[in-house]
Amino acid sequence: MSEVENNETPVQNEEKDYVEDGKNKFIVKCKFCGSRILDKKSAKYITIEKDLPLMQQDNNRKEGEIQNESVNEFYHVENMYTFENIGFTHTVANCKYLSCADCDAGPVGYYDNDTKHSYVAISRIVHA
Amino acid sequence: MAKTYDYLFKLLLIGDSGVGKTSILFRFSEDAFNISFISTIGIDFKIRTIDLDGKKVKLQIWDTAGQERFRTITTAYYRGSMGIMLVYDVTNEKSFENIKNWIRNIEENASADVEKMILGNKCDLEAKRQVSKERGEQLAVEYQIKFIETSAKDSLNVESAFYTLARDIKAKMEKKQKEASNPAGARSGGHQLRNEPQRKPTSWLSRCSLL
Ligand SMILES: Nc1nc2c(ncn2[C@@H]2O[C@H](COP(=O)(O)OP(=O)(O)OP(=O)(O)O)[C@@H](O)[C@H]2O)c(=O)[nH]1
Ligand SMILES: [Mg+2]
Ligand SMILES: [Zn+2]
Repeated sequence: MSEVENNETPVQNEEKDYVEDGKNKFIVKCKFCGSRILDKKSAKYITIEKDLPLMQQDNNRKEGEIQNESVNEFYHVENMYTFENIGFTHTVANCKYLSCADCDAGPVGYYDNDTKHSYVAISRIVHA
Repeated sequence: MAKTYDYLFKLLLIGDSGVGKTSILFRFSEDAFNISFISTIGIDFKIRTIDLDGKKVKLQIWDTAGQERFRTITTAYYRGSMGIMLVYDVTNEKSFENIKNWIRNIEENASADVEKMILGNKCDLEAKRQVSKERGEQLAVEYQIKFIETSAKDSLNVESAFYTLARDIKAKMEKKQKEASNPAGARSGGHQLRNEPQRKPTSWLSRCSLL
């Protein structure tokens, strides 16, 4: 989808085959164990820019250093009880990271302590 | 948006330091693959969705901080909890003796009708056992609380323990709801089993929608 730069978000959303009516068309599952994270059509598709720590940190990294990557496609979950299965870490810099409730893989997204909204990184889950 | 579940229960893991509360919540075993990032920060709570007799039940399960002692845990700590897992370590006599102190603390600080269950954890460590299964069962009978031995390490009985606790909370709620819709019957006590202990009016039932 590298044709034309298009700032109209809705049009871009139409192009995603996993988005329908602005929501996740499919069930959202853990990449590693298949644990069900979100039911279909339960979260809004959004694009925002956010740095998330890598799921697999390099063992040879410097002590205390955290390797991040920029993620920009998320499912936005306003009420945490919308989740089917999910873990919330302790708070770090006013946010909690989301992890798989079954195998503890993560971060698969983050939770904003101020707004109490959660964001699931689409690149870190699978659809089913 | 319409509510997509029938019940939401907040559950707490309580017990001495080192008995395995965090291990019960955090399933990851170190040899699987490298996800040290999550394990270094630690899990605060998990949300799990289970099916109980056709009802969709959401469990919000909280770990409690390692250094907390029963003397320092007060009302605020228990606020909104509907179920408490009391955990001891079968290889640690002291942690078993302290269950009584934890129960007393719960009675003083938690809602009167909070549902409780006792877990004897680390039952995989048979050679180091200090507390027999029979003593665990006796304690449970004494307090009229359900009991099961678990191993967080082997994932033994952990899931079924949460199902059991959740099912008991649900049964209690449904009983309360029935009584509320039929107050005369409830007051006369006509439908209550004879040796069931009298319980104070529910407080979390009215609160749970605020969670
Ligand atoms: N063999 C065995 N070891 C266990 C089991 N559960 C926990 N452990 C070990 O016991 C130690 C303490 O476990 P934790 O889960 O940290 O205990 P905790 O109750 O969270 O302790 P605090 O956070 O200090 O209150 C760790 O080394 C665990 O690996 C179990 O079922 N079997
Ligand atoms: Mg702990
Ligand atoms: Zn998983």
